[in-house]
Amino acid sequence: MSQPIEKAASVHAGMEAAASPASSPLRRVVVSLLGDRLALIGTIVVGILVVVAVLAPVLAPQNPYDLAQLDIMDGRLAPGEQGISGMTYLLGTDDQGRDLFSAILYGLRTSILVGLASAAIALAIGTSIGLLSAYAGGRADAVLMRIVDIQLSFPAILIALIFLAILGQGVDKIIIALVVTQWAYYARTVRGSALVESKRAYTDAARSLALSDRRIIFRHILPNCVPPLIVVATMRVAYAIMLEATLSFLGIGLPVTEPSLGLLISNGFEYLLSGDYWISFFPGITLLLLIVGINLIGDALRDILNPRREG
Amino acid sequence: MTAPILSISGLTTAFKVDSEWRDVVRDVSFSIAARETVAVVGESGSGKSVTAMSIMRLLGPNARSTGNIEFEGHDLLSLPAKEMQAIRGNRIGMIFQEPMTSLNPVLKIGDQITEVLMQHKGLNHTAAMTEAARLLDKVRIPSAKARLNEYPMSFSGGMRQRVVIAIALACEPRLLIADEPTTALDVTIQAQILELIKTLQREEGMSVLFITHDMGVVAEISDRTVVMYRGEVVETDTTKHIFRDAAHPYTRALLSAVPQLGSMIGEPRPLRFPIVDMATGEVQPVPRTADTVRMDAEPILKVDKLVTRFPVRKGILRRTVGNIHAVEDVSFALRAGETLSLVGESGCGKSTTGRSIIRLTDMTSGTVEIGGRNVARAGKGELADIRRNAQMIFQDPYESLNPRIRIGDAIAEPMIAHGLLNGAQARQRVGSLLEQVGLSPSMADRFPHEFSGGQRQRVCIARALALDPKLIVADEAVSALDVSIKAQVINLMLDLQEQLGLGYLFISHDMAVVERISHRVAVMYMGEIVEIGPRHAVFENPAHAYTRKLMAAVPIADPERRRVRHISNDEIRSPYHNAGYLPSEHFYREVGEQHFVLVDSLETAA
Repeated sequence: MSQPIEKAASVHAGMEAAASPASSPLRRVVVSLLGDRLALIGTIVVGILVVVAVLAPVLAPQNPYDLAQLDIMDGRLAPGEQGISGMTYLLGTDDQGRDLFSAILYGLRTSILVGLASAAIALAIGTSIGLLSAYAGGRADAVLMRIVDIQLSFPAILIALIFLAILGQGVDKIIIALVVTQWAYYARTVRGSALVESKRAYTDAARSLALSDRRIIFRHILPNCVPPLIVVATMRVAYAIMLEATLSFLGIGLPVTEPSLGLLISNGFEYLLSGDYWISFFPGITLLLLIVGINLIGDALRDILNPRREG
Repeated sequence: MTAPILSISGLTTAFKVDSEWRDVVRDVSFSIAARETVAVVGESGSGKSVTAMSIMRLLGPNARSTGNIEFEGHDLLSLPAKEMQAIRGNRIGMIFQEPMTSLNPVLKIGDQITEVLMQHKGLNHTAAMTEAARLLDKVRIPSAKARLNEYPMSFSGGMRQRVVIAIALACEPRLLIADEPTTALDVTIQAQILELIKTLQREEGMSVLFITHDMGVVAEISDRTVVMYRGEVVETDTTKHIFRDAAHPYTRALLSAVPQLGSMIGEPRPLRFPIVDMATGEVQPVPRTADTVRMDAEPILKVDKLVTRFPVRKGILRRTVGNIHAVEDVSFALRAGETLSLVGESGCGKSTTGRSIIRLTDMTSGTVEIGGRNVARAGKGELADIRRNAQMIFQDPYESLNPRIRIGDAIAEPMIAHGLLNGAQARQRVGSLLEQVGLSPSMADRFPHEFSGGQRQRVCIARALALDPKLIVADEAVSALDVSIKAQVINLMLDLQEQLGLGYLFISHDMAVVERISHRVAVMYMGEIVEIGPRHAVFENPAHAYTRKLMAAVPIADPERRRVRHISNDEIRSPYHNAGYLPSEHFYREVGEQHFVLVDSLETAA
């Protein structure tokens, strides 16, 4: 007896005490995000990495992609050593004499670009398909969702490998491969929340006001599906970056002349046991910080945007 | 009178909101004598539920209570947690509003009752099972013993509430606290539960603290009444005295806003609710409604043999094994300026009828004509035209406004989307629409969450009016609102009918409100209209057995007219039939002028 009573009691008390102050949703999210210590750390880390990546051409002492600036004689210098040209390599060099600090900055640029671009395109495609599926219902919905099921039942890395094998190397190719592996997650998420929203009375109200389907989908249903979408997108950006690093590590992502973080790690891998740890170590740490930072933000967002918390 | 069983003095309960303590209940004092029923009545936010929770000490750590609650010689507020546990559920039983969630769905009914008996009374399992069967029998559950082995899902809402009551009675409490126990139930089931509580109180000799927002229920059940308003007790007196001669302006306002079944005898037209000045308690006269029904013109809505069924599919092949006959052969017409109410209990098909009319739900067969145009056969463009003429207002004002769109934009949207007005013109029209529904034009920039329930429903009405409709389908449009707000919104709807000549299809389960607002009434049961006719005819001479049963079940907000009611313990039947079922044809008998009664089920129902 006591259990159901207490449960009901807390529900009641929650209702009575829920006095929601008026503020814009975005502002509330930002305030809660910065109020959470872990999320704050994540935001700072990711913020610094993004700024550094954007400013890479200014910050980097060397253009790691310009082969003319590299000197093979400077190969595999330890952190802090001075090269032939008199330049001090803060984080050492790789086997081609590339300044690792510069390479990491440029690699970060590529990683973030690939992650964001593939996430954005996959988000656009997945959201459209998810909305269409939810709103059309019936056979169209069944067909689209079975395609999603099939897609999700294959390991992402396998699909990416097949696509890259067909398409060849390059930033654009890897973005395409990542989009192909990612859109289904967005489609599934959006369809779920769009189904819920389209059953709510305000959608009925919009329909009885004779608004067009397009208007109902994009102005009424979509904005209310955004919270779960943000959470999934954050997590998926991290996943895309990691997948790109994995593919590059396997040597099928980006060309050797334009190393991303994964390729840098791969380059240093064979020297790891001979004591030249830094070639893999520093890019690895950078990748780790980026992924953990994004995941911390994603976790916090998931808690903040949880509809049960919104009340 | 004997010494009180429970006496509360100076109870103040505060909640911590954003590290600040806010009083929700202030300085509440009242007492309950042995064998007495005291009702605590108030609107939402009046603190009535929090008062009950404070007595049971069921509030979470974000609440604190001060004052004195004396029960059987103990001060409940200062009692150690363990001793409180012995009183809770043992000396004081409690039942809640929502019967669907107050039973654990994965435990058998028998186990949930015996759990209490074994814990509090120390019975062994066999003895507890026997006792549980006796309790179910006591709350009038048929074939009690067999049902002990069933799960809550096989019980209807009313039956579940009986089980909850049985659990509350298990330890023969001296006091039963009932927190809105009938609010979620249909009116005939509500009547059954109220009768049950009254009978049990006599049999067990316990006291009852009854918390409700419904003045009708108060008049029906309580000896004394405590009226709460914004966390404070404004009036305590015998129920009879309060209803006859209330002292506080708020109580008067509350009472004047309560529609009373049978108060409209001799009134030719709908009647506005009187307005009470909250400061003085003076009742201000309201203008009578004009005769708005356009008998001379063609009806704006014609429904002929409307049928809507929902297939029930099963198995891998999704074969249709049966149909829910939500709407079955429904026909009626509605004129401009007329209000036709569809009234009935949950599942009777009244909402589906409304949704089918503007094609939010696809009908199975039949024709619906709005303004002379066939709704079912309309293409996309024509349907848009039809919907401009027919708008819908929904029950839940919290759900029917998109939370992310400013209300000004929400109201302007249909006008702009249909290319009727440009941005600036639309803004101006939004302003005048807001004024028309009693809001200020400056509110257009606000989001829905900044409004109260009643204000939101006004916004919904303004939005529905944006396209100049001739017909409004109001689906339980005032059911979720507090009494006083309900009265205001109904007055607004009557005003708008006068000004704009609107036809209302008013869908409601509330007989008293229907009596107040309608020109004509159609009573629905199991998807069929069982009786349709002018309001005075249906209410004064109900011809169908179900109509009479429905009217007998409505609590009347007048303790002087408390009657001995013969409530049958029927369940509401389900309109499910196996595939291939052919409903028999419907014949109506004219029992008065324009007053028709369904013939074939006249003998079988009720």
